[in-house]
Amino acid sequence: MKLRVRPYLEFARKAFAREATYRMEVFTNVGSLLVRLYLMKAVWTALYAQNAAPAGVPLHAIITYTTIALLMSLVLEIDGTRMIRDRVREGSIATDLMKPINLPLYFFSDGAGQTLLHALLILPSLGLALFIVHIDVPAPPVLLAFAVSFALGYVVNFLLNFVMNAVAFWTLETFAIQLIVRWVSDLLGGQIVPLIFFPGVLQRIVLALPFAAVYSTPLLIYTGTIAPASYPAAFAAQLAWGCGFAILATFVWRGALKRVVVQGG
Amino acid sequence: MPIIETRELRKVFRSVKRTPGAGGALKALFSREYVEKVAVTGVTMALEAGELVGYIGPNGAGKSTTIKMLTGILVPTSGEVRVAGIVPHERRSDNARNIGVVFGQRSQLYWDLPLIESFELLRAIYDVPEARYKANIDYFIELLEMSDFLNTPVRQLSLGQRMRGDFAAAMLHDPKVVFLDEPTIGLDVVAKEAIRTFIAGINRERGTTFILTTHDLADVERLCRRIVLIDHGRLIFDGEVDALRDTYGTHRTLVVELSEPLDHVEMDGTEAELTNKTLARFRFDRRTMSAETLIRRVADRYGVSDVSIEEPELESIIRLIYREGHVEGPHDEPGGP
Repeated sequence: MKLRVRPYLEFARKAFAREATYRMEVFTNVGSLLVRLYLMKAVWTALYAQNAAPAGVPLHAIITYTTIALLMSLVLEIDGTRMIRDRVREGSIATDLMKPINLPLYFFSDGAGQTLLHALLILPSLGLALFIVHIDVPAPPVLLAFAVSFALGYVVNFLLNFVMNAVAFWTLETFAIQLIVRWVSDLLGGQIVPLIFFPGVLQRIVLALPFAAVYSTPLLIYTGTIAPASYPAAFAAQLAWGCGFAILATFVWRGALKRVVVQGG
Repeated sequence: MPIIETRELRKVFRSVKRTPGAGGALKALFSREYVEKVAVTGVTMALEAGELVGYIGPNGAGKSTTIKMLTGILVPTSGEVRVAGIVPHERRSDNARNIGVVFGQRSQLYWDLPLIESFELLRAIYDVPEARYKANIDYFIELLEMSDFLNTPVRQLSLGQRMRGDFAAAMLHDPKVVFLDEPTIGLDVVAKEAIRTFIAGINRERGTTFILTTHDLADVERLCRRIVLIDHGRLIFDGEVDALRDTYGTHRTLVVELSEPLDHVEMDGTEAELTNKTLARFRFDRRTMSAETLIRRVADRYGVSDVSIEEPELESIIRLIYREGHVEGPHDEPGGP
C-alpha cells in the first residue's frame, strides 16, 4: 500500500484544532509552569546558600537548566498516544481498524498536532518566565544542536509513551504503570535534577538509561556540559534509543493487533 | 456473484482462564488453562448486491463476531469469507474502502470538532474526489436535514442529530456494503423514521447493500425483505420475512369485546384470558382452527359487541423461536466479546 500523506496532515490539523478548543487547559498549563518555576528557583537558591556549587555548576546555570527543562515539558508532557488507551478501553479501536489508514501513524500525527499547539506556548511562557528568572543563552550552533537533540528526544518520548499505552491492549488500564514510569523518567531523565549531580557509578547508569535521551541530553547540550566534540556520540545514543524503541513498538503493535484480530480483544 | 459470501464460517475464542488478583495473574504466566468459546459456527450465507438484510439474534448469539469477520478485524478460525471479492482479514485496508459502518452506540465523529470537520477528515482518509465529495455531502445534508447543525461541535448534538451525522459519515466514500449495528437505538419515533427512510432511499437509489443488526424488529419489518436469524452461533433461519411469518407465526389472537362483564372465559383449542371484565383474548393456531369457526363459537357462548384479529408481531415470532430453540443438535455456549 502506498502511503498517502494527506490524511495524516489532516489528522494533525484536526488534533491541533481540537486542542485549541480547550483554551482553559492551555492557560492552566502556562500558569502551572510559572508556579513550578518559581518554586524551583526558591529551592535551588536556598540549597546553594547552604552549600558550595555541586559538581561545579553555578546557580545561574542550574536555574537556566531548570527553566529550559520546564519549557521542554510543555511539549514532552503531551502524551499524544493516550488515545490508544482510551480507544481500546471504549472499544472504538475496532472502528479505527475498519478505516484504510496506518494506525500508529495516525496516532503519531494526532500527537504531533497536539504537540504543535503546545509548542506555540513555549515562546510566551519563556517571555513570562524571564520575569521570574534570568537564563543563559548559548551560541547559535549550540542552540541548533539543542534543537536537533530535543527533536530526537521527542521521538524517543513518543515511542516510550506509545509502548506504554499499547499495554492497554492487554490490561485495558495503564494508569498505574504510566504514573510509575513518569516519576522514574522525570527523576532519572534529568528533568528535575541534572543527572551530573548523581554520584559516581549511579551517574554512569542513569546517563546510560533511555530516560536520559529525552530530557538530559538536550539540556546538557544547552548548558554546554556536553561539548560540541561529543555531539555525534550524544546524537547517536539518542538515535539508538529511538531505533530500539521503534523496534519494540513494532513488536508490541503487532502483538496487539494479533490479539485483537485473533482473540477478538 | 454474491457481494458477501461465507462458507462454514467458524470462530472459536480461546482465552486464558483467569484467576482474579495479582497472584492469579502471576500464576497465569506459568501455567495456562484455556477456555474455549464457540462464538460462530457453520455460518454459510450469500448476499446479492443491493440486498437489505436483517441479521437478527439475541445478545451473545454471534452477530457482532460475524460482522467483525466481514469487516476484517477478526480472523476466522476456519471457513471462508469474501466481501466484494476480497478476503477481509487478508486485505483489511482494501476491504475498508468497500465498506461503511454505523454503530448506534458508538460514534465515529470527532467529538470536539464541528460536524463538517469530521466529514472533511473522512474525505481525506478515503481519498474521495472533490466533485464526488461535494455531490455526496450536498445530497446527505439535504436528505438528512443537517444544514442547521453542520457547524456545531459533535458533543453538543442531540442523539438524533449525531446519528444522522454518523450515517452521512459512513456513506461519504460510496461504500458497496454498509453494516448497521443498532442504528436506531435510543431514537424517538420521528428520528427513527427519518433514519429508516434514508436507509431505504440509499438502498433503492444507489443499490448499496445493507446488513442490519438490530433488536428493534420494527426496523426489520419496515426495511428488510430478507432476514437471517442466528442463535448460539448458528444460523437458524435464512429467508424472506414473509416466509418466517408463515412458518412460525401460526398463532393469532382473537380479541373480543364482550357486551356484558364476565369473570371467566374459556374455549377449547384456545388459550383464553380476560384483559378486563369486558375484553377477552383467545389465542389460537390457524392451522387447527379458522378464525371464522372461532368467532362463531365465541358468539354462541358469549354476548359479543365487537371482534378483531391480531396478527403475530415479528417480535413475538422471534421470541418463540429463541425460546423453543429451533436448532438441531448440541451447541456450545455462545460467546465472544
